[in-house]
Amino acid sequence: MTDVVFLVVSLLTVFFAILALESRELVYGAVALSLSFLGVAGLFILLDSLYIAIFQVLVYIGSIAILIVFVIMLVRRDKWANVTSGNERILGIIAAVLLFSTMTYFSLSSSLTSQYPNPAAISDFYEIGSQLINDYWLILQLTGLALAVSIVGALTMAKFENR
Amino acid sequence: METFEEFVKRILTILFWLIIVLPIIIFPILFLVVGLLGIDVIIVNEILTAAIDPLKAIKLAERYGLGFSSTFFKIAVFPGFTFAALIATFTILYERKLLAKVQLRVGPLYAGRFEGILQPIADLFKLLGKELVVPEKADKMFFWAAPILSIGLAASLLSVIPLSPTIYIARSEFSLLIPFAILGFSPLVVLIAAWASSNKFAFIGGLRALHQLAAYEIPMLLSILGIVILTGSFDLMKIVEAQKDIWFIFPQFLAAIIFYITILSELERIPFDLPEAETEIVSGWLTEYTGMHFGLLQLGVYMKFYALALLFTLLFLGGWNGPAFLPPIVWLLGKLFFVITIIIFPRAVLPRLRMDQLIRIGWAWLIALSFINIFIAVIESSLGII
Repeated sequence: MTDVVFLVVSLLTVFFAILALESRELVYGAVALSLSFLGVAGLFILLDSLYIAIFQVLVYIGSIAILIVFVIMLVRRDKWANVTSGNERILGIIAAVLLFSTMTYFSLSSSLTSQYPNPAAISDFYEIGSQLINDYWLILQLTGLALAVSIVGALTMAKFENR
Repeated sequence: METFEEFVKRILTILFWLIIVLPIIIFPILFLVVGLLGIDVIIVNEILTAAIDPLKAIKLAERYGLGFSSTFFKIAVFPGFTFAALIATFTILYERKLLAKVQLRVGPLYAGRFEGILQPIADLFKLLGKELVVPEKADKMFFWAAPILSIGLAASLLSVIPLSPTIYIARSEFSLLIPFAILGFSPLVVLIAAWASSNKFAFIGGLRALHQLAAYEIPMLLSILGIVILTGSFDLMKIVEAQKDIWFIFPQFLAAIIFYITILSELERIPFDLPEAETEIVSGWLTEYTGMHFGLLQLGVYMKFYALALLFTLLFLGGWNGPAFLPPIVWLLGKLFFVITIIIFPRAVLPRLRMDQLIRIGWAWLIALSFINIFIAVIESSLGII
């Protein structure tokens, strides 16, 4: 049963991801992208981590997909670069294959090999919070710093554009 | 011209003659056909008697797993869809009457003997009788999808919100977060409706709605974090249990105000009704919708209204907690009625905000205030007030 659900959800995710890239109409692309994010959330639910699935929906569909829609609607159509020339397409495919193969290699060679992980160990949000604060505090701080820098950069760019 | 009472009379007359004609002509023919085809007569007999005898209908439903305690009944009827739709239609009537009384008008008056109490039913029949106009240049698939998505999202909001310790559809450890995750889809529905209409007014309304919903979703989520810090749980049941002694509106007053303002904005109500500002852009993103399409969108909005009012009651007003001489559900519905009233009230007295004021309130004031509220919650929990 789980395998059938997994197959359907992952096929839908990949289908909508391809649709998001290939659709001529940009709004179709945005809706397909958010449905693809929803499929990823479904995969998280299958892995017994409802907490992460909820935040996948909240952050990726509630914020990121909506921000992409903003950009689509506010920027004119003719400003979009038309990426159809052969070289760039081939380069993109090569980069995607390289990324996919390295990620597959490292995840298969890591210790995360069992198909069904222990559900009790994952879904506890106390555990996630304490690990973020106690063990990975440096990464948390660096992420915050990167976000602050990018906000300052965006503000500066907006200010120079207005002049 | 046929008045509404004459219309009801006509329907009742048709029903009366149908009941007379059924046993004399149609039932004998039906049983003859059943006998000739060799179907078991007892099953047909049971279904037909269940159609006129409610007690037998309940027994029949229970035998096929659709009784009062079944999941289907919970989803479709009592804490679920039908109950929510009834409360939504009641809210529409109550809103019209209340606004009329505040503004010294009479409001709906003629449908039904008492104060226009049958007005929602009359409106429903009016909408059902209207033609569904789909614009020629519209994107047909998205245009049809938007009303269905709207009502589907509003109904799925209710799936994890409990009404009392025993009345709920589904329990979840994260029942506070799931409604907010579902609310994240609502800008997408507005976008689909606005874009599919291929109308300038609809498109401008849709853009305004996107701005507004994106700006107010963040303070809405941040304002409830204080309660999560105080209770240490995302479970609505546990949050309500924690309010046995003191309602969270007292220690978390700032959060209650922020949550109330964001509810007004999420529901696109005055003073935040820029997406459907009828004096500027006809009816915003709803402009091209007619008939039952419009009815479904409106019902979706009011079911969202019910869900958010319910969340406010559970989070800040102690939910179903109250003296034991009344059952918990009565306390909950009484508080819910109060919350619905205070959500409706600004519409009677306030003007509309400008776009820049709306954006400034959302991004500059509410987010900063909700961070201050989180600090207040941390101080309260470390002092051991709750």
